[in-house]
Amino acid sequence: MSEQPRISRRKFVVGGGAGVAGLAGAAALGWNAGKDEAPASADGLPAPVRLPFHGTHQTGITSHAPAAALMASFNLVADNRDEVRAVFKALTEEFDTLMSGTPVPDRGEHYPPLDTGSLGTNPPPADLTLTLAIGASMFDDRFGLAARKPRELFTMTKLANDRLDQTRCHGDLLVNISGDSPDVCLFALRQVMRRTRANLVLKWMVEGFNRREAPKPGKAQVRNLLGFKDGTANLDPSSDALMGEHVWVAQGDGEPAWAVGGSYQAVRIIRMLVEQWDRAQLGEQERIIGRVKASGAPLGEQDETDDPDYEDDPRGDRIPLDAHIRLANPRTKATEKNKILRRGFSYSRGFDPAGRLDQGLAFVSFQRSLDDGFLAVQDRLSGEPLEEYIRAEGGGYFFAFPGVQRKGAYLGQALLA
Amino acid sequence: MPSTTTRRLAAVAIAAGLLMAGCAKDDGSATRTDCSSGSSAAGGSSAAGGSSAAGGASADCGTGISKDDVAGSTDDPLVQKAVDGYQTYVEEQVNGLVTDTKVFTDAVRAGDVEAAKAAYPTSRQRWERIEPIAALIGDTDGAVDSRAEDGVKDTESPEVTGWHQLEYDLWVKGDIADSKDLADGLDDELQKLQAGLPDLKITPLAVAKGASELIEEVSEGKITGEEDRYSHTDLWDLNANVEGAKEATTLLQPAIKKADPDLAKKLDTAFVEADEALAPYKDGNGWKSYEDVSDSDRDALKAKFSALAEMLGDVPGALKLS
Repeated sequence: MSEQPRISRRKFVVGGGAGVAGLAGAAALGWNAGKDEAPASADGLPAPVRLPFHGTHQTGITSHAPAAALMASFNLVADNRDEVRAVFKALTEEFDTLMSGTPVPDRGEHYPPLDTGSLGTNPPPADLTLTLAIGASMFDDRFGLAARKPRELFTMTKLANDRLDQTRCHGDLLVNISGDSPDVCLFALRQVMRRTRANLVLKWMVEGFNRREAPKPGKAQVRNLLGFKDGTANLDPSSDALMGEHVWVAQGDGEPAWAVGGSYQAVRIIRMLVEQWDRAQLGEQERIIGRVKASGAPLGEQDETDDPDYEDDPRGDRIPLDAHIRLANPRTKATEKNKILRRGFSYSRGFDPAGRLDQGLAFVSFQRSLDDGFLAVQDRLSGEPLEEYIRAEGGGYFFAFPGVQRKGAYLGQALLA
Repeated sequence: MPSTTTRRLAAVAIAAGLLMAGCAKDDGSATRTDCSSGSSAAGGSSAAGGSSAAGGASADCGTGISKDDVAGSTDDPLVQKAVDGYQTYVEEQVNGLVTDTKVFTDAVRAGDVEAAKAAYPTSRQRWERIEPIAALIGDTDGAVDSRAEDGVKDTESPEVTGWHQLEYDLWVKGDIADSKDLADGLDDELQKLQAGLPDLKITPLAVAKGASELIEEVSEGKITGEEDRYSHTDLWDLNANVEGAKEATTLLQPAIKKADPDLAKKLDTAFVEADEALAPYKDGNGWKSYEDVSDSDRDALKAKFSALAEMLGDVPGALKLS
């Protein structure tokens, strides 16, 4: 609650010009920003950096697959739009403070310290990103925003294979946090929450991780908990052109003006029935996914990056027609517009009453159009053989705000104007 | 989850510091170590065990508060006035608590289920107003206010004594024929609490922390409906927590106004808003069942009291209390 000024250190370690806030083209932050400037560690992974908060788009949408991540969904308790504004301003200021690694002032021994202290006095560079999205419930009758709802945003409904737990679905606000380790993410979450206690009440959260391997062009850096490479054919977040085509809402899309530069965020908490999966034959697993488990290559091909060449396999002799990768991305002209930017992570939340491990994928996709993006892909996947081993238990549809381009401006400013 | 919450353990930890003004230990760091191990042992043990382990901690060791700090003196006459006022308040509440509870226990001993049910929430009011301070005396808290663990909440828990076991007998069992011993035990414990009053030395820090811990109580046990899980009279307790916190804060307000006028103003507003947030659930002279509070309304209460807890956390800093 303290309004005390923070000590500003202004020590952005982000690579060169990419760190300059507000420039068009600052979208290609993240991966490339770090790669050019930050020295790589012994295992070939780039050293963590401070990613900039300010930019045309929110940084955490296109930064590289994080080693650690969490999503926290909140209900917003506010009596009017002014209170909502105050909350968004506080979130903006806190996100900026955290991402820039600004240390908090020392208030002396009589006060509670202003930060948790879990990262020491000077928070280290940690690839930290905080990204804010809002759910369809923000546009109900509470704040008079109904007319400003992104046209494709709605409250997630149950799909055929879902077993949704309503206590792990939806929410007014979704705070996405990612970084190089779980303690960094939890630190950020606690700082955000202590700042906003009067208005934000946790609804659900999920925490997780990605195994990161040294990056190679066209190779997925991560495997999911089914043991398969995940993200090989994902959009390259460092390509402004691809992001502009598939991820960012643009003028002329028929969306409200405030949404331009933002992105639809689909979140699905997908439980994997791992014991059952681990008992499935390797051949079955590979046919279900459509890839060789070890190499990640499409079935019948040599290399992970090889084209699956569906035209050469019209009857699915090599890669079954209902294989996951074939349904998800048929690689046809017509399905080009269905491409989405995936940025999910694996989670583990103990075990269920039956003694089975409770783990899976916190699926996240960003897209310019929810209908053309996630919903179209999901529609193709409906009934896929993989469904025997997975089920969605939570999540929701959100809209990630455009970026904040300068100090003093705040997330959601144009929405609330 | 042990019945005695960690927050309550923290309260007991203050207790240790407070009551051990004459404690022989003179090495502050050793004292801290002793106490934290006592608390964590309590946190991991069973309901009854948790309480008694915590009680043990309070009897044997200090906390982080050094001997000098707990002498309770203050240079600020406004703070001293608050401490004196709070000492009187606590004494009044404890004395009234013994009387109020006897109405409840008499009904139990008479076998009158309806009268006992009616007297249950009222008997707890004064306890809930001063609980963090009352918990400083002996092992009262564990003996009178323990709850069964979540896993066994639908079964009788013979190791649990005090209000919540009687609550179980009344609302779940619906039979209090064998509850007389529990009623007698509750009376005895509260009389012990009363007898311990002359030894209770309240420090400025305890007044401030007492207020914030009462609101922590709200955020922890009441807001979930866990405290009075059989009777659903949580709102009675919740309101009593707020009343107790408000009393302590009101007494400190002249000093806070001088030290940090902005914080003083925020606290005034926050307590008014807390009352407003609770107002819709008033029911005659009492409170509605907590089951009548919807999830979204519980969210609103959570937010309100979490914000208040954050503010109260700054009071010791503003007053430079240690």
